[in-house]
Amino acid sequence: MNVSIPNILDQIIASVPLFKPELALIIGFIVCIFIALFLEKRWRNSTFIGCIVTLGFSLYYLIGQLSTTATGFSGMWLVDTWSTYARLIVVCSTVIIAIFLQQQHSKNNGDVYSILIAATLGMHVLSSTSHWLMGFIGIEMVSIASYILVGYFSHNKTQSEAAMKYVLFGSVCAAVMLYGLSLIYGLTGNLDFQSAEHLQGLMDAPEAIITLALLFVFAGIGFKLSFVPFHVWSPDVYQGAPTAITAFLSTIPKIGAIILFARLYQSWSSTAFYFSELSTWFMTIVAIVTMLVGNLAALRQQDVKRMMAYSSIGHTGLLLMAVFAYQDLNSYLLFYIVAYVLMNLATFIFIDQIEQQTGSTSLLSYTGLGKKMPILFTAFTLVAISLIGIPPTVGFVAKLMVFTSTFSVFQSSGDTGALLLLIIGALTSAISLFFYFKIPLYAFLRSSDQPVILKKQFGVLLVIAYILTALVILFGIFPNWVMQVLA
Amino acid sequence: MGLLSILIFLPLVATLLILVLPTSAKATYKYIALGFTFLQFGLSLYLYGNFEASLGGIQQLEAYQFVEQLSWIRMDLGAIGKLEIDYLVGVDGISLPLIVLSTLVMLMGVGASWNIDKSPKGYFALLMILNTAVMGIFSALDFFLFYVFYEVMLLPLYFLIGIWGGERREYAAIKFFIYTLLGSVLMLLIIVGLYFSVINPVTGAHTFNMLHMMNPANYVDGSFFAYIANYHDVFGIPARLIGFIVLFFAFAIKVPIVPLHTWLPDAHVEAPTPVSIILAGILLKIGGYGIIRVCYSIFPDIAATTNWWLALIGVVSILYGALNALAQKDLKRMIAYSSVSHMGFVLLGIASLTAEGLAGAMFQMVSHGFLSAALFFLVGVLYDRVHDRYIYNFRGLASLMPKYTAYVAIAFFASLGLPGFSAFIGEAFVIIGAFNAESMTTGVPRWMAIGGSIGILLSAAYFLWTLQRMFFGQTRLQGGQVWKEALTDLNTREQVILFPALALALLLGIMPSLVFSNLNASVLQLIDLIKPYL
Repeated sequence: MNVSIPNILDQIIASVPLFKPELALIIGFIVCIFIALFLEKRWRNSTFIGCIVTLGFSLYYLIGQLSTTATGFSGMWLVDTWSTYARLIVVCSTVIIAIFLQQQHSKNNGDVYSILIAATLGMHVLSSTSHWLMGFIGIEMVSIASYILVGYFSHNKTQSEAAMKYVLFGSVCAAVMLYGLSLIYGLTGNLDFQSAEHLQGLMDAPEAIITLALLFVFAGIGFKLSFVPFHVWSPDVYQGAPTAITAFLSTIPKIGAIILFARLYQSWSSTAFYFSELSTWFMTIVAIVTMLVGNLAALRQQDVKRMMAYSSIGHTGLLLMAVFAYQDLNSYLLFYIVAYVLMNLATFIFIDQIEQQTGSTSLLSYTGLGKKMPILFTAFTLVAISLIGIPPTVGFVAKLMVFTSTFSVFQSSGDTGALLLLIIGALTSAISLFFYFKIPLYAFLRSSDQPVILKKQFGVLLVIAYILTALVILFGIFPNWVMQVLA
Repeated sequence: MGLLSILIFLPLVATLLILVLPTSAKATYKYIALGFTFLQFGLSLYLYGNFEASLGGIQQLEAYQFVEQLSWIRMDLGAIGKLEIDYLVGVDGISLPLIVLSTLVMLMGVGASWNIDKSPKGYFALLMILNTAVMGIFSALDFFLFYVFYEVMLLPLYFLIGIWGGERREYAAIKFFIYTLLGSVLMLLIIVGLYFSVINPVTGAHTFNMLHMMNPANYVDGSFFAYIANYHDVFGIPARLIGFIVLFFAFAIKVPIVPLHTWLPDAHVEAPTPVSIILAGILLKIGGYGIIRVCYSIFPDIAATTNWWLALIGVVSILYGALNALAQKDLKRMIAYSSVSHMGFVLLGIASLTAEGLAGAMFQMVSHGFLSAALFFLVGVLYDRVHDRYIYNFRGLASLMPKYTAYVAIAFFASLGLPGFSAFIGEAFVIIGAFNAESMTTGVPRWMAIGGSIGILLSAAYFLWTLQRMFFGQTRLQGGQVWKEALTDLNTREQVILFPALALALLLGIMPSLVFSNLNASVLQLIDLIKPYL
């Protein structure tokens, strides 16, 4: 550990090129704060433009990193295909969220963009590290930014309550995770979970302490991914937050967290020792329970946003299944993420557009709207079909690939857990039909007598949503196009 | 683009056309739909006429006809291997008769939709998507492609029943959807398993090609569904048996067999007439087709050992369906149950594993296809006029609607298996096959053939009894004078739709070789495939 200071400096300077996309975000974050303070009053939307430019720069540097595989900052920063693609997806979807915010909350929104950039930065950190310290910093950056976002536009009690709940639950989970990390550091003496020292430490440690430490650490990640039993915050928060923020929360933080978790699982599950077995069991059980709870609870929801919260819990279960079935290739996990992002963003834009028209997110308010907004609801139905996983949509291909990889695990190991995952995954797909199809059920099958006066429905957002829907179908028929890029 | 692709995607063009045209042109939608289905019918007849009857098909790609193969999805999945999905379509003697049947029934369906006035745009667009999916299912030879069409079929049906259906349409639509989806998601797992077990001998990649799945030589030793050296089991049941059962379950829901049939009466009763026609005429056949194409061809070893059970299920369906039909008071429900009974013959014929039985089952599918379509259309005629189809609410219709009565009588006699009509040939061959099965030692005992014959007897009972209750005797109607005026006899459009179906029933009853000659080679091929395992 006694490296001379010039050496350290050299390494830091050498690592800076790897950090360009994030540097762009950091500079953009600071610039956006100042724009919001000084320029926003004179030129509206200037912060929005600053945000988009920042993300554009970040995107530009990311594309430059596409073929790079390197580590920097003494092994704390990893740049590989995983991290680069994950960050690309994060930045692209953040652009959509930024447009979403600009369209729906055009007043008093200056600071929201800098917070959005900060959250993006956190996600970048999460997806390109295997070091616990960085991982924790990433989780906290995303979390704190999310707390502010949830509370930012709150103007009634439920919204404030949602923000408060989120903060409390998040802080407790973070504290628990930190405690777990301290135990792990004590056991191993190294915080890089891919290092040999770290694994050796875990192999030697007593079982009871390992169990405790691992579960504590998983609690922190579980909060971000909202898998069972750390999911209880998400329905309230999703329902309470403004739709644009919900779209953000349900999609983007999960990308970073799942990448970190996948890296962790990959290095931890590959040994024959107790902690690997424990991780595998934990993973299987949590994935099964998450799929079941998410899909079953969604059945009873009467509010679309709340239903989507449970649906996203269900999808987390499938994401965990994808992580479980990790092979030497990560493209199908990335494919699932791409599919999930496409579907979720489109769904929330539709929900928002309908909310603009009817002022409600309850399923009952959708009654008979299919006739009045035929194109919107047709597209919405197509996205719902994709969420269930019925061809010819991207959701089906994504699900098929997860099933495929899980099956190959089952075939090679004969593991009952893998089989159970498959069966539960298939059954919950059938269950999910019930609640996703409530949308076309209310919109098309039922008719209402209440006259709904429709405002003009054309906007940038709707166009984006239709493009996303088209991609959902297109990538479902030609998954090659995505896979060739990802592979 | 080959003829088969044109056949599949023509209706999609119609869908686009209908969607693009403004609502002010809504009177043209039905003509567009009719024109395109007519074109399809002509095309399928052309295919039928140019079909080389001596080629078997089943597991040999070179014996399939009008084959088109394009590589569709190629993905390198690292340790899992290469993913190979083709756009592979082709027809053999099993699929072609069903394709011709589908185009005919589709034509009848469009004809029956003539008076739809509730958002015709959506209706005809969905109907045409359904049409594409059906054609795709019957011609796909790649399991992935098959599955995609299979699932795509569900969505338009859900909306067709759910939006244009009767009073309890929501319940019927979701029940139908859930039943089928449950079968198909489990089917997906088996497809994935098969994909891992089978290797394309040419490229060495795992493949979804069904024909490769039918060849034992392509299975990887030790893989989940391997023929030899397979030690895999699930909860103590051998892997291949599980695969067969799950696939059978998925298709049996479609057939439907007792006890998985409960969606059928609900769906039929709630569905609008054209959808009932398509449901009975085409969709039930997908179940039978799937059992032959997928279950029996990919798992011939299991087919040979389980056929006793399958035949038993067939006999139970025949008898249970017939007894239920006897007890129904709703005319449409009665016909729905008669479908369950008649489709039981298909299962019995397939399970008999004799050439007669299998050919009979195929024939029965074709015959039941247009006969049930005609029956549901006839119910629709009544329902259109008075919005009632309760059997006891009608009496003595013969004097009121003589033409209608004549058509109903012919359709009933044809359906109950009167010699000279097509249903007789189908059922007779099935029973001959089931009877011969014992001497061919395929494992189906003689008493099952007798069970089947009792089913014919029962079908005569419920059809004739209904005929007597509704059409003969003194005219007495629940709705009195209003009904009497509403109940006009068949108009020209209705006769144009009905006449070909009933004429075909007679034609095929007299000249069954029209169908048999084209499917014979395939049936023998299938028997050859299964025989080594008996």
